[in-house]
Amino acid sequence: MAPPIPDATFHGPNILMFSDPTIVIIELVLTLLAVAFCFLIYFKTKEVYELTKYEGIKYFRYAFLFFGISYILSFISSIAIFSRIIFGLVLPRDIFGPLFILPLGYLSTMAILYLIYSSIWKNFESRRTLIISHIVAIVLTIVTFMTRSHLILLYLQSILFILAIILRPYARKDKKKISQTRILYFLVLGVWLVNLLVLGRGRPIYPLIDISLLIASILAYIFIYYKISKWVK
Amino acid sequence: MNTKKRDRLEVIHDILKIISERHNSIKPTPLLRYSNLSSSSFNEYYAELQSKEFVKEIFDKDGRKYITLTDKGFKFIEKYKMIKGFIEEFEL
Repeated sequence: MAPPIPDATFHGPNILMFSDPTIVIIELVLTLLAVAFCFLIYFKTKEVYELTKYEGIKYFRYAFLFFGISYILSFISSIAIFSRIIFGLVLPRDIFGPLFILPLGYLSTMAILYLIYSSIWKNFESRRTLIISHIVAIVLTIVTFMTRSHLILLYLQSILFILAIILRPYARKDKKKISQTRILYFLVLGVWLVNLLVLGRGRPIYPLIDISLLIASILAYIFIYYKISKWVK
Repeated sequence: MNTKKRDRLEVIHDILKIISERHNSIKPTPLLRYSNLSSSSFNEYYAELQSKEFVKEIFDKDGRKYITLTDKGFKFIEKYKMIKGFIEEFEL
């Protein structure tokens, strides 16, 4: 029996239009590259952290570790979505959904919070702030799980992102100018949010846009890794 | 006179540098004096240096205690500029 053709009429254009296997493979390869660079950044900074036990470096490393794992989970979710579109293969949502949405929600939220916290930690009491961060991540994850929607996670993480932009000048009084590093961080966060949007929709926004954004995030990771390599031999 | 407050890494570096500049062997009291720290702060930092194995204590034949750097301590001094540069570059 042939796999059922997905009903695209409710969603608009024929989603099979966007299911070119070449595009799918390119997106998956680019996602894997993003994973690779996240882990490279994490391991490249291992020695300098172990030598100093400097908290800012710890949070910086955790951010990229958690982003790397989140991209892996996103990659696996994408495989499942594309399997549904291309092969009509449907994985049981009751098992598959929670299996990924729970760790994805928690880890990606903590990645965002760690990245923000890595540069403002001196202004806050560590233990209490971290406890609050974990609570926020758990609450966001539970809300996402209850609604079974990546889009809810996207909206909630977008609020965190906007808050970070608004509150940063107040948290770091010594530097009002937006630096190159800060722009890189916002790019990394922004592209992650778009990645969530694609997951939430269950189909690409538009292949060229998705690929362009993935390339932008990989370039940001490459640049971050290059900047780290300048200092950390 | 520059009275900018030193951060934790800077203080650790300064203490280790003092030891290395005195032929890698200094008694605790002169080290406290040169470190420009209060007694309680010095004790905290010293405990941290010991826990991180940056320094170790040796005793001469008369039982006098000297503080000396370990390989890890030398490594920290060597990499300090790099570490500071990395922290400043990424605003950590």
